[in-house]
Amino acid sequence: MTLLRRQLPLLITFVTGILFAAQYYIPHPASELMLTSVSKWLQIIAGFALILGVTSLFHIHAVKIRRKEPGWGYSFVLYAGMLGTIVIGLWHGGKETTDGVTTAFGWIYTFMMVPLQGTMFAILAFFIASAAYRSFRARSREAAVLLIAAVIVMMGRVPLGEHLIPISGDITQWILNVLNASVRRAILIGISLGAVALSLKIIFGVERAYLGGGKE
Amino acid sequence: MSFAERMLHIDRRIIFLVIGLCTLIPLLYPVGLAIKISPEVKSVYDYIESLPDGSVFLLSLDFDPASKPELYPQAVALLHHAFKKNLRVIGMTLWLPGTGMASEVISRVAREEGKVSGKDYVFLGWSPGASSVIITMGQDLYKAFPTDYNNQPTAELPVLKGVQSLRDVNYVVSLAAGSTGIETWYVFGKDKYKFELGGGCTGVIAPGLYPLLRSGQINGLIGGLRGAAEYEVLIGKKGTAVAGMDAQSATHFAIILLVILCNVFYFLIRTSGKTAGQN
Repeated sequence: MTLLRRQLPLLITFVTGILFAAQYYIPHPASELMLTSVSKWLQIIAGFALILGVTSLFHIHAVKIRRKEPGWGYSFVLYAGMLGTIVIGLWHGGKETTDGVTTAFGWIYTFMMVPLQGTMFAILAFFIASAAYRSFRARSREAAVLLIAAVIVMMGRVPLGEHLIPISGDITQWILNVLNASVRRAILIGISLGAVALSLKIIFGVERAYLGGGKE
Repeated sequence: MSFAERMLHIDRRIIFLVIGLCTLIPLLYPVGLAIKISPEVKSVYDYIESLPDGSVFLLSLDFDPASKPELYPQAVALLHHAFKKNLRVIGMTLWLPGTGMASEVISRVAREEGKVSGKDYVFLGWSPGASSVIITMGQDLYKAFPTDYNNQPTAELPVLKGVQSLRDVNYVVSLAAGSTGIETWYVFGKDKYKFELGGGCTGVIAPGLYPLLRSGQINGLIGGLRGAAEYEVLIGKKGTAVAGMDAQSATHFAIILLVILCNVFYFLIRTSGKTAGQN
């Protein structure tokens, strides 16, 4: 069992990791053909991952309903919504419109999903305003710098700000292009180096958390 | 409890009401302040403007309905521009929940511009995998999308004549609401398949994409509703983004005012606390 649980996955990871890291630098037709095939495999695996995700979601909420855990009613609504949408979606072949006419699936999408998601995002403005009022305080020198920068950028990103203080737009551009970009780039370089290090650890079998913690 | 303390603990519903009114009133009574064009938006416009007739323009609508208010107007403006320039438009999405919306916006703008599906544009739809979709498209577009969203075999579509992979695409713009979008298109697409890449994004993620802009990894960036409004001004077709700018101006100023007030009250409390301590 150790072979199937540990050694084989480690070997596959090592071989594919080395192979596809090298592939990037070898523009030979055979190498490109291999990439084409494997990228298609990846798409197929991603498709199965979606099924796995949906199955897992169904399982978690089925347990909640069966045990009548707090909020199990919401799980029931989720079940009804998901099953209803899947059945109607399959019935209409996943099409929102047929010959220019909106299908039931399209109706669910246009008149339920779009406004619901839009509403969820829109209420952020209200909560951000409330949170800013309660917590955006110049408690320290660093917080004061952040506060001033935020006020300038908020002014410079809207026509009224540029109308009242014309230079606010230029200062905003400078903050975004120079201060923000340089700090973000430093963070990105750090993240990328971390990703490279982690990838090497996975390829060489040092990092094995992805194998799971099952008994050997 | 002092006045300043009472003000700091104000009922949050009053703040909600202020923000609601600041959004609603400018929408009902627009002022129409001038919108200044930023260089990053102009770059996207200029690049599309420089493309000759029949060039291939790929628009990846990588967002879901939650980001519709910001990114939908960007898509509308870009599509109007591309169709007016007689570019061959390929539409697609890396976000499954956005598929219906992406299909709708492309077919709607195409209809308004008198363009025909399959001949002037194609909507490929969604395929699982995000980064692997881009790699597969870079290797062979027809392997990634053997059929379009309407189940038409892509290899037979006149709009894709001469297009074998992403290497044959002249310009790609990703309208992104998250990390699966512009960054994915750069890392897995542009870097290897050498097409020009531009971006559009929500206001929240725009600052995170400036390093890509400054280094030339993307040639332009349309940021948030403001970016969409700028693009609408550039193509001379004012729409929902320009209409929303007054509301955004008012809400930004309301938040600035709230933050200033909160700090004034905070310092009043701190000062009175110190004075009380000295006494």
